[in-house]
Amino acid sequence: MHNMTFVSQTSPYIRKDTSTKRMMFDVLIALTPVVFFSVYRFGLDAISRILLSVIIFVGVEALYFLSVTRADGYNLKSKIVNKFKKYSINNFSAPAVSAVIYAMLIPDQLHLYVVVMGALFGAGLGKMIFGGLGMNIFNPAALGRVFIALAFTSFFTGSYSFIDAAAGATALSTSFPNVLNSYSLIDLLVGNVPGSMGEINALAILIGLVYLLIRKSADYRPILSGLLIFTVLATIAGFVLYPTLVFEYVIFQLLSGGLLFGLTFMITDPATSPITRPGRWWFGLIIGSLVFFIRIFGNLPEGVAFALLIGNLLVPLLDYPMWSNNLFTKKFYVSYSLVFVLLAVLTFVLLGGYAI
Amino acid sequence: MITKTRNIPDGKDVLKKLPLIHYLEAPYLYYPITNQRCPEGETCVVFGQFVKVGEVIGTRKGAFFEQPIHATVSGEVVGHEMKFDASGKRVNCMIVKNDFKYELHESIQSRTDETIEALTKADYVQIAKDAGLVGLGGSGFPTYIKLNTKNKIDIILANGVECEPKLISDYEVMMDSPEELIQGLIYAMRAVDAPKGIIAVKKKYVEVIERLRFALNAYQAHDIEVVAVGNHYPQGWELEAIEAATGIKVPQFKLPADYGIIPFNVSTLQSLYHAVRFNLPVLERYFVISGDGVVNKSFKARIGTPIQSLIELGGGYVDKSIPKTLIMGGPMMGSNVTNDDIVTTHTATSLIVQNSLMLDEDPCIHCASCVYSCPVDIQPVQIMNAVKANDKEFLKQLSVDKCIECGLCSFVCPSKIHLTDYMREGKRILRG
Repeated sequence: MHNMTFVSQTSPYIRKDTSTKRMMFDVLIALTPVVFFSVYRFGLDAISRILLSVIIFVGVEALYFLSVTRADGYNLKSKIVNKFKKYSINNFSAPAVSAVIYAMLIPDQLHLYVVVMGALFGAGLGKMIFGGLGMNIFNPAALGRVFIALAFTSFFTGSYSFIDAAAGATALSTSFPNVLNSYSLIDLLVGNVPGSMGEINALAILIGLVYLLIRKSADYRPILSGLLIFTVLATIAGFVLYPTLVFEYVIFQLLSGGLLFGLTFMITDPATSPITRPGRWWFGLIIGSLVFFIRIFGNLPEGVAFALLIGNLLVPLLDYPMWSNNLFTKKFYVSYSLVFVLLAVLTFVLLGGYAI
Repeated sequence: MITKTRNIPDGKDVLKKLPLIHYLEAPYLYYPITNQRCPEGETCVVFGQFVKVGEVIGTRKGAFFEQPIHATVSGEVVGHEMKFDASGKRVNCMIVKNDFKYELHESIQSRTDETIEALTKADYVQIAKDAGLVGLGGSGFPTYIKLNTKNKIDIILANGVECEPKLISDYEVMMDSPEELIQGLIYAMRAVDAPKGIIAVKKKYVEVIERLRFALNAYQAHDIEVVAVGNHYPQGWELEAIEAATGIKVPQFKLPADYGIIPFNVSTLQSLYHAVRFNLPVLERYFVISGDGVVNKSFKARIGTPIQSLIELGGGYVDKSIPKTLIMGGPMMGSNVTNDDIVTTHTATSLIVQNSLMLDEDPCIHCASCVYSCPVDIQPVQIMNAVKANDKEFLKQLSVDKCIECGLCSFVCPSKIHLTDYMREGKRILRG
């Protein structure tokens, strides 16, 4: 009885049966329908690009880990062995998630050199330079994608396969009513259109979304908020620009481009989200409206990654303790609705709706 | 997961089914002269003196109150020794050698109904003071100070929620002696002239609600009702229980009495009944030994019983090679003790022996589960960052002082970060 060892701890002494590891693998599982579809659709082109991204993202993380982790040992070999003992599953699963998302954002014929550059940029400057898991302020996948879009623009010409002669590189880069001649709305749903590998099949993305929400590994608030503002703005634009094709226009806007993929897998990345419930509603509002504005008023056909990065940039502002609060206050309801309505009115006016 | 977590597996069903052992065979009983609220104390007996059940053997002195220490057995005062109390602190204890006769002291006199009818507020306060009644829910706050309020009180709340996992003593009080509880509640209502009494019980305890309602049939003259409240944690926290049972929102750092309500733990009310009716101090409490590192047993034991003897009687530790964590109280808010040389006190109702978990912390991924789950709506993850940065202004802004240390933030964290420790550190920094 007296040789028992008693350990000193502080309350609470129990923990919920959950882990960061589980959340990471949930995202990987949710990504599988999208990945399977891209492999089915693009074959070896998809496999090679996904594998390459995973190797680079995980490799950069491992390199970073080995260079910054301190471990004791009597010689170099034992030091390295001890370092590897600290290497956890999160050092693999987290970069793997980023890598798969990144691979899903790029076109299937994109030159492998460009894929490597984007992955290096995303993993190195997007995540590791901030200190690794949970420290990054930008979504590494989006940052890598935006980097190659700006630095290697010429490589993207012709990188999308399955181009309809009459249509542009992606469904979104084709002008609206004409695009329906090339691709039906069903084509958009099942991914029978050109585009980035993971973004084209809305159905596969929705399966992943449902899984994430059921497992509660993703927060529904930014998704819902972003989807809501985007749909409202798209409906207004539809009424102003194509009064006869409002329904088709809204569905087309929702299903094409990276919107659904971005809302499902990128906006929900907890590390780059605000930490309060109202903050996450704002986050969704910002990104949803930015995606729409970039599409309508901007020069880019696909602006999800840009919108996301701008949203990430505003996270510290949303989390600033002077005004961040986990309670839904009256102030939040009023200001959120006000901004929502203002954005809708702004869209209406800018699109020339007052002339009607 | 990224969601508000409020339900914790409580493991109470198994404990409730354990047979109750009434333990009166302790050869020596230990009475701490000081405790957490009373840093000083003195004894009024000499070694070798014979004491009886209910006799005052000393006084603990707190900042603004004094508290008598009562013997819970009859026998001889034989000395003093250092032991651990329920808060995990080492304290000096008086030792009384049990003569197993349990002779009652002369002051233990029953009051008749007529005398009780005639009692005034001052009498009730004096009785509670003399009996050394304290909040038995764990606070240890002197009951007479609560009763001695100057505010007009409308409602007395009997808090029987007991939301912590693994605790069953309030449940047993409500199941075994509902009449004593109800009469205690009536005395408390009379003492402060409150017209209404409410007993708050978890809504999943259908059997307790039935039992209390049945017992209440005999007290139709009094306005007492049983209110079923939520099953979640921390529903039993004073302010949450008040809000759930009465709808009154008491802000933090305010006294419920200012809002016309006084909450008591159900065991406290039972002890008030004993004090008023029989002039008895708290003699016995239910005590349950649980956890995966020990044979689980349920006891009713005299205050002052050494817990080692209860563990031995129950069957001792299991898996002795595994290091253990000793917890007095519940697994969410209980205090850690680093030695099993503990004595039972007023507020001790549970010992949990846990095979120690060794947890590796992962980096925070900002999932905000802690923010979503926090019952007082502060932001644990931000506070953690502020503590790491040692930023006092930031901590003030984040109102870390609101934290009630319920432990939910640590409980829900998928990265297994010990956020509650950061909250404590934050409070320390804020205090300067």
